[in-house]
Amino acid sequence: MKKHIGFVALGLAASLLLAGCATGADSSSSAADATIEIGSLYEPSNLSNFGGGGQGVTEAFNGNVYEGLYQLTDDGSVEPLLAESNTVSDDGLTYTFSLQDGVTFHSGKALTSTDVKASIEAVLSDDSQSARKSSFGAITSIETPDESTVVVTLAERSISFIYNLSYIWIINADATDLETTEDGTGPYVLDEWKRGSSLALTRFDDYWGDAAANAEVVFNYFTDATALSNALLTGEVDIVTSVQSPDALSQFSDNADYVVNDGDSTTKEILVFNDRVAPFDNVDVRKAIYSAIDTTKLLNSIWGDYGTLIGSMVPPTDPWYEDLTEVNPYDPDLAKQLLASGGQPDGFEFTLDTPSYDPHPVVAEFVKSELAKVGITVNINTISADEWYTKVYKAQDFTATLQEHVNDRDVVWYGNPDFYWGYNNPDVTQWVAEAEASATTDEQTAKLKQVNEQIAQDAASVWLYLYPQIVVASSDVSGYPVNGLNSQFYAYDIALK
Amino acid sequence: MTSYLLRRSAFLLVSFVIAMMAIFVLLRLLPGDPSNALLSVTATPEQIAAAQAQVGADRPVLEQFLAWFAQLTRFDLGESFISSLPVWPEIAARLTVTVPLTLMAFALALVISLVAGVVAAIKADRWYGILISAISQLGVAVPVFWVGILMVSVFSVGLRWLPSSGFPRDDWADPADALRSLTLPVITVALVMSASLTRYVRSATLDVVGSDYLRSARAQGSGYTEALWRHGLRNGAVPVISILGIELATTFLGAVVVESVFGLPGLGSMLLKAIEQHDYPNIQGVLFVSTLVVLVIGFLADVAQRLIDPRLRVSISGNR
Amino acid sequence: MSAVVSALAVVAPARRRSWTLVAGLVLVGAVVLVAVISLVWLPYAPADTTGTRLEGPSLAHWIGTDKLGRDLATQLMSGARIALLVGLSSVAVGAVIGITVGLVAAFAESWLDDSISAALDVVIAFPVLLLAMLIVAAQGASLGSVIVAIGLAMSAVVARLTRVLTKRVLGEQYVTAARTSGTRWPGIVARHILPNIWPTLSVNLALQFGVAVLAEASLSYLGLGAPPPNASWGRLLQEAQGTVVTAPLGAIAPGIALIMLVIGVNFIADGLRDVADPARKGRR
Repeated sequence: MKKHIGFVALGLAASLLLAGCATGADSSSSAADATIEIGSLYEPSNLSNFGGGGQGVTEAFNGNVYEGLYQLTDDGSVEPLLAESNTVSDDGLTYTFSLQDGVTFHSGKALTSTDVKASIEAVLSDDSQSARKSSFGAITSIETPDESTVVVTLAERSISFIYNLSYIWIINADATDLETTEDGTGPYVLDEWKRGSSLALTRFDDYWGDAAANAEVVFNYFTDATALSNALLTGEVDIVTSVQSPDALSQFSDNADYVVNDGDSTTKEILVFNDRVAPFDNVDVRKAIYSAIDTTKLLNSIWGDYGTLIGSMVPPTDPWYEDLTEVNPYDPDLAKQLLASGGQPDGFEFTLDTPSYDPHPVVAEFVKSELAKVGITVNINTISADEWYTKVYKAQDFTATLQEHVNDRDVVWYGNPDFYWGYNNPDVTQWVAEAEASATTDEQTAKLKQVNEQIAQDAASVWLYLYPQIVVASSDVSGYPVNGLNSQFYAYDIALK
Repeated sequence: MTSYLLRRSAFLLVSFVIAMMAIFVLLRLLPGDPSNALLSVTATPEQIAAAQAQVGADRPVLEQFLAWFAQLTRFDLGESFISSLPVWPEIAARLTVTVPLTLMAFALALVISLVAGVVAAIKADRWYGILISAISQLGVAVPVFWVGILMVSVFSVGLRWLPSSGFPRDDWADPADALRSLTLPVITVALVMSASLTRYVRSATLDVVGSDYLRSARAQGSGYTEALWRHGLRNGAVPVISILGIELATTFLGAVVVESVFGLPGLGSMLLKAIEQHDYPNIQGVLFVSTLVVLVIGFLADVAQRLIDPRLRVSISGNR
Repeated sequence: MSAVVSALAVVAPARRRSWTLVAGLVLVGAVVLVAVISLVWLPYAPADTTGTRLEGPSLAHWIGTDKLGRDLATQLMSGARIALLVGLSSVAVGAVIGITVGLVAAFAESWLDDSISAALDVVIAFPVLLLAMLIVAAQGASLGSVIVAIGLAMSAVVARLTRVLTKRVLGEQYVTAARTSGTRWPGIVARHILPNIWPTLSVNLALQFGVAVLAEASLSYLGLGAPPPNASWGRLLQEAQGTVVTAPLGAIAPGIALIMLVIGVNFIADGLRDVADPARKGRR
C-alpha cells in the first residue's frame, strides 16, 4: 500500500512540475498543417443523422464529413455541391440532377447515382427517424439512368425541394455501422471520436474540391458553459461554436486576443399558447399578453446587448422576413384594453409549463412578473424535457408553455392545425400549402409573407426574441462561419494566422 | 477464516444481484418515457412510434428485465437507447479516467489526513493542532464543486499552470499530459475528502492515545513512540479501515460532481448524461459497474479488518 | 499570535467544548433569524426585476443584483428559508423512516434483522448525492422531490445507527426485566429505548442536516435541484457561476451563507455530543 501511495504522490508532483513549465505546445510549422481546436456544448449521441445523433452530429459532420447534392451556405442561400447542375420540367414535377465528376468517398469508392438514390431512400424509409422525412412526401420515384444522373419525380410541385435536399447527406450505399464510423465525400475524414470528450477530423487528401485550409479540426465537448469559456481563456480551444450565455463575454469583448462575432441565428424563444383552449382561443387575450411583456428588457436580461427582437416566427435570414415587431407593441395600457375586449377585464390565472433548463426558468419568472402588472397570475410549473414531450407535445395537455424552436424556415408549422400549439386558421393552412406548390420563389415568398403577417395579427404565439449566434474565437484564427444556421459549422476554411 | 471468506463472498454475490434487480425495477417504475429524448420539436406520430420501438418501451417490463438479465449473465450490458451503441466499451473507456482519478485522490487524501489527523490529536494544544482542526471543520462544510470552481479560477484561468478542463484525446499515451489534466480534479477531491478523514483519524488517534493498553504498555517499559506504533496503529486502524472503505466508495461515485466541474469524460459524466436522457441501459451499465466496485471495496475492507484483528466478531454483512 | 490562537480555540474542537455549542448556536441562529425576518419583510419583492442587470453593491442593493436585475440580498434571505426547510424536512423524512426501520430490525427475528442490515449496508455504500440524483431525475426536479430524495438516502444511515443503539439498550437488564414482566413493545420503545438512544441519535441527525444542505447545493449545481422560483443557495451559486469574474459577490455571498450554516450545525452536533457523552469530551 505504502509503495503505491509513494508512486502516486510522485506522479502528482511530477505532473505539477510538468504543468509549471509546459505551455500550449502548438507544433504548427505552417498554416496548412494546423490543428484547429473547436469548443462546443453539443456532443453527438452517435454519428448517424437518422437515429438520434442530435444537433452535435450536424455541427461536426455537415459539410465537413458529409455533403449533400446542395448546400445551405453560412449566409442562408442554397448552392449546388455534389449536384453539378439540375434541370426541372415545366410542370415542376421532374428534377434531373447531374453529379460532379471525380468525387470519391473516404473509403475510396467513386460516387455514383446509386449512392444518391440510396441516401434519399434511407431518409424516406419506414423506420427512418430523420426529422426531414415529412418534407419529402411528394417524391414518387427516383431513377438512375446512368452513373452520374439522378431523376426524381414528384407528385406535386414542391418549391422547397432543392432546399430540402441540402439536408440529405450522400452516404456510400455500401457503408455499414454509420453510428460509429462514416463514409462521406467531404473534405474531412473522421479520425477519432472519444465519447464524452472530443471528435477529431483530419483532412481528406483525395477530396474532389478545394482542400481544407487546415490539417485537422478537433471538436472538444463541454457540458458546462463556464468550463467552455475557461477553455477559451486558457487557450485550450481556439473557437467556441455557439456561446449560450452572455455572462462570460465581457472577458473576451474587451480583449484584443479574442474576437466576438455576433452572427445570425434561427433559434426563437417562444411563449407558446395552446390556441385551442380558453382563454387563449381568444385573439384579444393572446395579443394582450404579447403587449404586456417588455421583450426588450427580457432580451437584455438574458442576453445583454446581444440578440434580436422578432415580431413573428420568421428570422431575418429567411427570405420571407419582414419586421413585424410593431404589430404587437409593448404597451401595458393597450394590454389592459385588449383583456377587457377579450372578456377578461379582471385578469385571469394560468399555468405555464416551463422546461427546467436554461433559459426557460428565467424567462418564465420574467413573464410572471410582467403579467402580474396587468392582473394576470402565472403559475410556473417546471417540467423536465421528458415531461414536456409527453405532456405538452404528445398529449397537447397544456395551457401555455415555453420552448425554443431552432430551425430556419419553420413558419410553415403554423399551417398544421394538428401541431401542438393548435393554431388553426384555415387561410394560413391554405397559404402554406399554396406556397409549397408555387412555381417561383417570388410566389412562395409572397405567400409566406402573408402567413407571417397573419400569425402576427393573430398573436398565434408570443415570439419573445431571436437568440444571438455568438462565435468567440482567438484573433489568431480566421475563416470560420459566424451564422449558426441549423447548427452547422463549416470548418474547412478556418486558418491559423 | 476460509468459512468466513466463503460466507462473505456469498453475501457479496447475493447483495449484488438484489441491487441490480432493484435498480432495474426502480428505473421502470418511475415515470418518464425514454423515447422522448430521441424526438425533435417537429416529430411526427410515425417518428414517435419508431422512437418507442427503438427503446423497447412498447414491450412489457418483465420481458425487458428477462432480456436484460440474460445479457448480464454473458457480461453484455446491452446498447444505449439513445445512440444504439454498446454500453460496455464506453464504460471501459471512461474507467480509464475515473479509476485513476479516484485512486490518486484517495491516496493523496489518505496521506494528508493521516499526517494532519495524528498531528491534530497529539498536538491538540498547539496552535497548528488547533488550526488543523479548524480547517477540517471548514472543509466538511464546503461544497466540492465550489472548491473545484475556485481551483480552476486560480490555477487555470489566473495562473495558467494547468488545463481548466478536459482529458487528452489519446488517453494515457502521454502520461504526463493525462496527469496534468487530472492534477486539479485530484487535488480538489483530495482536499475535501481529507477534511472528513482527518476528523476520523484524529478521533481514532485520541481513542488510542487515551486507551488502557497504551498506558499499560508504557507502564511495562515500552517507549511512548514504540508503544504508539506497536499497539496504537493496529488498534486505531480497525475503525479507520471500515470508514476508508466507505470513503473510497464515496470518492468513486462522488466523481460525478468533480467530473462535471472539470469536464472529464469519466463514469460520472456518463451517468449524468444518461440520467438526463432517460437512457436506461447506460444508467444500468454505470450502476452495474459502480455497485460492483462499491461492494467489492466493502468486501475487501471487511476482510482487511478481519486480517488485522482476527478477534473481531464480524457478521456476514460486516457490520455489527 | 496568541489572539489568533484563542480565536481559533473558539472554532476548534479543542478543550473548551461548550464553545462549539455556543458558536454553532450563534451561526445557525443568525440564519434562522434571517429566515424569520424574510417571512415578514424583504428588501424587494422576490420577482421584482426593476434593478439593472448585474449591479454592484449599493445602498439600494446591498450585495447587488442578478442577471434579471433582481435584488440579491432578497434572494439570499429567502434562500435561508429554503435551506432550513430542505435541511429540516429531509432530516424529518430520514428520521421517521430510519428510526422505524431501525427499530423493526432491532426487534425482528434474526433472519429479518440480517436481511434488513444487509440491505442497509448496500444502500449506505451509495452516497446521498447519487441516490438523490436518481430519484430527482425520475421524479422531475422540485423542492419536494429533492427533500424526499435526500431524506430517503439518509434514512439508511439513521436506520443502521438506530438498530445498533437499540440492540445495545435491549441488552440492558432493566429492559429485559420490563420485557419479562409483560410490558409490550410499544411501551418499551416509548419508555426505555427512545429516551436512551435519542442523545446519540440527535447528534447524528444534526450532522445529517449539514449533509442535506450540501447535497441540495450539489444537486442544484448539477441542474437537478429545486427549480425557480425557489431561490435556494445552491441555485444562486449555480446561476452566479458564469459571472464569477464580472460579479463575484453573487457567487461568494451564497457560498459563505451555506458554509456558515453547515459549520453551525456541525458545531451544534459536536456540542450535543459532549452533552450526551461527557466522557468523550475533547474527542472528534
